[in-house]
Amino acid sequence: METRRDVFQAIADPIRREIIDLLAQRSMNLNAIAEHFDVTRPAISNHIKILNECGIIEIEQVGRERFCKIRPDHLKQVSDWIGKYEGLWIQKIESFEKYLYQLKTKRKKHGGK
Amino acid sequence: MAENDLSKRTLSIKKTFEAPIDLVWEAWTEPEHLAHWWGPKGMSITIVEHNFKVGGRWKYVMPMPNGSEFVSEGQYSEIIKFKKIVTSANFRPMTEGVEIRVLFEKVGDKTNFVFSVVHPTEEYKIQQEKMGFYNGWGSTLTRFDALLNTLKSMS
Repeated sequence: METRRDVFQAIADPIRREIIDLLAQRSMNLNAIAEHFDVTRPAISNHIKILNECGIIEIEQVGRERFCKIRPDHLKQVSDWIGKYEGLWIQKIESFEKYLYQLKTKRKKHGGK
Repeated sequence: MAENDLSKRTLSIKKTFEAPIDLVWEAWTEPEHLAHWWGPKGMSITIVEHNFKVGGRWKYVMPMPNGSEFVSEGQYSEIIKFKKIVTSANFRPMTEGVEIRVLFEKVGDKTNFVFSVVHPTEEYKIQQEKMGFYNGWGSTLTRFDALLNTLKSMS
């Protein structure tokens, strides 16, 4: 049962990630997207539906065609989240270094230990 | 175990600190200092256990924004004052079964410092490296940056 609808749900599936990559290059209609995959058209259609519900793409009706278009602002949540964990070790060592120098300055002020 | 095999399983960070070795050692090993630098910016940690002797265990717990906990724990296997600390380590839920080796070397008023994470297998090291636990979720982030730039240029 898939009830969660957020950007992380959107990128959880490899086919959906590929669809995002495709649509990042240009807007496409469903047929054009489906041509890139070996899975059935209804399966692709379902992925598109999920991406739409997650707010990653919008579907635009142009005449008889329905074009899928990326919404970059929502995807940014992903890179923001990843950024928090960037270089955990390096951050830790840098944070240690910073604290060490604070400690050194403090000890000097108080005439050393 | 061959040393070249070890190097394939190890991620290291080297630094020279502009501080004397006794201060570096104190800041690295004493719990009152640990609380100031161990956790990421703006996160508080709880030192559940810090038994700094060979065979002694340590455990630090950090509450996560989503209500779960990030647990760091291990057991010291080697401590040589002003020279070396070796400990097993788990960082749940991200990294498990690694060994952390920290080397200190006095160079006048400065201190050479090598921090290494030794992984159980080379594959695990590569996976962790890719995840960027070491240098920044590298490939994932680069990929997303590239994607975002493409998107920005479109809109």
